[in-house]
Amino acid sequence: MIAALRSWKALGTSVHVLATEADALAPASTAVREVLEDVDRAYSRFREDSELSRLNATPGRTVRVSPLLATAIGAAQRAARLTDGAVDPTIGHAIRVAGYDEDFSLVAAKGPQQEVKLRAWRVPGWQAIRFDPQSRTVLLPAGVELDLGSTGKALAADLAARTALAAAGVGGVLVSLGGDIAMAGTPPSDGWRIRIAEDSRVSPDADGEVICLPAGGVATSSTTIRRWMRGAAVLHHIIDPQTSLPATGPFRTVTVAAATCLDANIASTAAIVRGEAAIDWLLSCHLPARLVENDGTIHYIGRWPDPSGLAA
Amino acid sequence: MNSLTPTQRDRGLERLRRLTFGATAGALVAVVGVGYVAAASYAGKSSTNASATAANTTTSTTTDSSSNSSSSSSSSSLQAAPQAPTTGSSGSGTVTSGGS
Repeated sequence: MIAALRSWKALGTSVHVLATEADALAPASTAVREVLEDVDRAYSRFREDSELSRLNATPGRTVRVSPLLATAIGAAQRAARLTDGAVDPTIGHAIRVAGYDEDFSLVAAKGPQQEVKLRAWRVPGWQAIRFDPQSRTVLLPAGVELDLGSTGKALAADLAARTALAAAGVGGVLVSLGGDIAMAGTPPSDGWRIRIAEDSRVSPDADGEVICLPAGGVATSSTTIRRWMRGAAVLHHIIDPQTSLPATGPFRTVTVAAATCLDANIASTAAIVRGEAAIDWLLSCHLPARLVENDGTIHYIGRWPDPSGLAA
Repeated sequence: MNSLTPTQRDRGLERLRRLTFGATAGALVAVVGVGYVAAASYAGKSSTNASATAANTTTSTTTDSSSNSSSSSSSSSLQAAPQAPTTGSSGSGTVTSGGS
């Protein structure tokens, strides 16, 4: 049984913390707040004083970074390696050129009257980052800008859930950052209940599919959210590193369950970018997934529960 | 039986001291050498882990959690959850996973 829930806004999205023990909610929530504040200071792209902004502003120089930023860069490089570059942190320049260069509420508000000049070119690639995890030093060559938004939020959910559990001391904790969900500790008897939707703002009480999981992470990537217009072009935030443009594959929304929220997010984002090849790739990764085509057709992959009983 | 002169006895004692010193030094060199070879040959990494553990214990909460995460997320493949999801029903404590 879920004993308590607390919600607020952070990192430009919604935060939900659930605890199985009522007394654990306050210390767990405090711990999550502290982690998210650290994350914001370390790798927000929209704060000029964040470590990441300073790193992006000093190309060609070796910079020693904090353990948290080093962890985030290491996670982003691993994501790129495991997806053959489909999820690549060097999209920073591309997403900025596309118009996503400040908090999203301001990006959307500018509207179609603001033009952008888009051209297809391959991003520099994660191999361009000279990162030594032992010394925590990073050198970005000129022209390389990092965006840790995708893996960074999922990593933050994992870190927040673990830290919240340590602060709670007992029971189980679930942390949701804008629909990227991480679980830690002892789950409720029937598992954590998670509604699957294309928009994380959908009410948990709305109609739709609900899954139960005792542990791990769940992440959803969607091209239907964080969309904006520049001129006649409708843009979104999932950039294809091969073209530096918003991904244009057949799937608009992908949800994946994995051992961690980070791995779930890597897979869901990569599936959007990979397009048709995503189904075979997800099967080879043995990750249960739910994919929604642009026309609304839903595919259930691996051990994802299919309401009709027909899994791929 | 011939008795030794004092000079012969002193030379003998000096030779014995040199032999004792040489044997002791040789034994020490052998012990150190064998130990070094054994340590170099064994593929352990206890000193590195000990350093990392010591570093973790002296850092902040966030640093601890990030260090733990880096070790668990350094796998060479994406990791599946310990249990596959099952079909559920909405109720108290349901959260939404969706794009954001």
